[in-house]
Amino acid sequence: MKTDQNGYTIIIGCGRLGANLANALSDAEGNVLIMDKNGDAFRKLSPSFGGLTATADATDIDALQAAGMDKADTVIVVTNNDNVNVMVAQLAREVFHVHEVIARLYDPERECVYQEFGIATICPAILSAKEINKILDRATLVEASDDAGK
Amino acid sequence: MKKRVLLVGGRSKAKALALSLIHKGYQVTAINETYEDCLKLSEIDGLSVLQGDGTRPFLLEDADAAGMDIVIALTSKDEDNLVICELSKKKFHVAKTVALVTDPKKTDFFYKMGVDRVVCAITVITSIIEQQAFVEEMTNVFPLGEGHVRIAEVPVCGNAPMAGKKLWEINLPQDVIIGCILRGEKVMIPRGDTRILVGDLLILISGNGQEIAAIEELTGRESK
Repeated sequence: MKTDQNGYTIIIGCGRLGANLANALSDAEGNVLIMDKNGDAFRKLSPSFGGLTATADATDIDALQAAGMDKADTVIVVTNNDNVNVMVAQLAREVFHVHEVIARLYDPERECVYQEFGIATICPAILSAKEINKILDRATLVEASDDAGK
Repeated sequence: MKKRVLLVGGRSKAKALALSLIHKGYQVTAINETYEDCLKLSEIDGLSVLQGDGTRPFLLEDADAAGMDIVIALTSKDEDNLVICELSKKKFHVAKTVALVTDPKKTDFFYKMGVDRVVCAITVITSIIEQQAFVEEMTNVFPLGEGHVRIAEVPVCGNAPMAGKKLWEINLPQDVIIGCILRGEKVMIPRGDTRILVGDLLILISGNGQEIAAIEELTGRESK
């Protein structure tokens, strides 16, 4: 994973995705802070994780301020609640003026809310569908070439 | 045509609001997440009720959000209310959206995100309590413009330090003016050289919560 050595990344939500990202960024010697409202969630981080953890509710503006969000270069919002992700991403963008904001949305229909704010959205269902289609395409390609080879 | 209002979330608030709006002749639809709340709401005559998560676009579509004049988000979660209003605004082009907000610090942020009216219950309630606590000094306070501007009536008692002074001699806070003086039957719009007399009733217009400081200055009473 490529990171800017001096960049400061805040990850909101320490689920599987958040923890994986945090581990990878920490291994690449990036400055990372990961926030979750449940302190137990940090058990998912690897023992070598060298970043910061913050047990706080990300919907609280003061908690985001305390985490230094105004100084963050990248904010990645990956809690398991779409509406929290929408709000925190917009707070990061509009209140803290973070340059790069990425959010996960389970429901792609909510994406229209983000459009004018320049927030990148990741939708697992759509990504999975794309990947599955790719595999299917490859399978038909292989079949076709097998047929041609016969 | 009847104006159409959509209420999303809220228990007793949704019920009370639905009753009041239907009484005033609005056509009201309510969305609520729990079956029990929906049952309660469906007891109201003339209210259409939908059960489900009002932050889901398809449910808003089922409720005909696009045909609504006003959408009011009353859930207990700020993030849900924000999403409800944003979806209504951007996906369904509702003219007016109103959101309840729990955290007073988010009020400005909600306005910035395009919500038309933001109501913060905590701010409203604290300002009423504050007003009640100062009830001896003020007979009436009217909050205007989201509570940022207040108009207060201040009676001038015999022991008030301002009695007998001219307006320009009084050291009022910057965001406060005396807009009007009621002297018996007479209404006066004061100028700098107008003298305040015992028995006057001052109409104070103040911004940014300065009215208490102003009233202390005028009546000479320390508030505790």
